[in-house]
Amino acid sequence: MKTLDACKILDAHRDDAIVVCTMGAMNALDKLPLNPLTMACVPLMGGAASIGLGLALARPERKVFVFDGDASLLMELGGLVSISHARPKNLYHFVFNNSIQFAGLGNLETPGARSADLVAMAKACGFEAAQRIDALDDLESRLKGILAGPGPSFVEVVVEYDAPALGTENPAVEMTDERFTRMGDEIRRIRHHLGCDAAVAA
Amino acid sequence: MSALAKENPMKQFSKHSVSAQAMVDAFKRCGIDYVTTVPDMVQIALHQLLDSGESGLKVVHCTTEDQAIEVAGGLYAGGKNVAVIVQNQGLYAGINSLRALGLDSKVPLLFVIGQFGREFSNLGGNPRDSKRRVVFLLEPLLETLGVPYWRLEGPDDMGNVEAAWKASRERSGPAALIVGHFVGW
Ligand SMILES: Cc1ncc(C[n+]2csc(CCOP(=O)(O)OP(=O)(O)O)c2C)c(N)n1
Repeated sequence: MKTLDACKILDAHRDDAIVVCTMGAMNALDKLPLNPLTMACVPLMGGAASIGLGLALARPERKVFVFDGDASLLMELGGLVSISHARPKNLYHFVFNNSIQFAGLGNLETPGARSADLVAMAKACGFEAAQRIDALDDLESRLKGILAGPGPSFVEVVVEYDAPALGTENPAVEMTDERFTRMGDEIRRIRHHLGCDAAVAA
Repeated sequence: MSALAKENPMKQFSKHSVSAQAMVDAFKRCGIDYVTTVPDMVQIALHQLLDSGESGLKVVHCTTEDQAIEVAGGLYAGGKNVAVIVQNQGLYAGINSLRALGLDSKVPLLFVIGQFGREFSNLGGNPRDSKRRVVFLLEPLLETLGVPYWRLEGPDDMGNVEAAWKASRERSGPAALIVGHFVGW
């Protein structure tokens, strides 16, 4: 399954959910129509799930989706325990597992790619539900049921990856200024959209 | 040695302590409704009060300081007012998240940082003169990061809780309150 196709399905089922995305899923969501309740966790590897936890606790009335990377999850693996300890019923944690890091750029193998069982880890940490989905039609058919169930819910979405763009023909990639400002701008956009600033001023 | 110190040598340091309840009251005056944390030794009394459920503040327990900062960022995105309670070692551990969310993203964050490891002979003196790296590095590091800080060295400094909170809102970024000695019960 391609990350972009999986993101299209998730996006179609989000309703009024807030989405915190990072890495490959962020690049995919950037290709879809803008939603003011989407924010990117960038450049902050490993931070998406915990930001999602904070949002889920702050806004229990709506769902929060996290679109994570496999290596990003592993960087803050203890975050699974922080999430299950806080028990946010409205948090849905999707991990796009392509078994590599710097997907589409350098394609370096993620430690544990062939041995670590992410779903078992989420279950062992106390998530309400945890499952692995490796086909697009499965994602389509199971998603409604997953979202009808309680959180915190963990879904490992097994995805393919593109060939690495960096190499002798294309030896460097420059980061834009926007990469360092968008997270804050998107946090403020979410606050604005939720009416938080008005509430503070009142 | 004073009579008080003779009776219990630890008590002579109590003038450097603020009570957990006074800290919670100051947090409430700021409008803080959430705390995210990895616990700190010198703030154990505060953690116990927060964990008792009687403080009126909600607590999110994290397993790393990066998470504590990130959860605070998410809570802020959802409209909440948050204090991040860590120790000096925790601040050192969480610098990348502080950089990303506090500095680059300009999220107002109040850090409450305990000076773990401060020798008692340094109490009442300058923490920069501490012999312990874990203590004396904190303020210069915050300066390098461009994070303003206020010391909490005793009850006379209670107003610094609000000062640090206000600074975090006004500059839209991190500000720190440095807790110099064990919080009192
Ligand atoms: C603290 C930190 N260490 C290292 C990096 C460099 N880095 C950026 S992306 C990345 C790998 C991300 O992999 P994954 O989460 O699996 O996402 P994918 O590339 O597969 O989409 C690394 C190691 C970083 N951003 N932050």
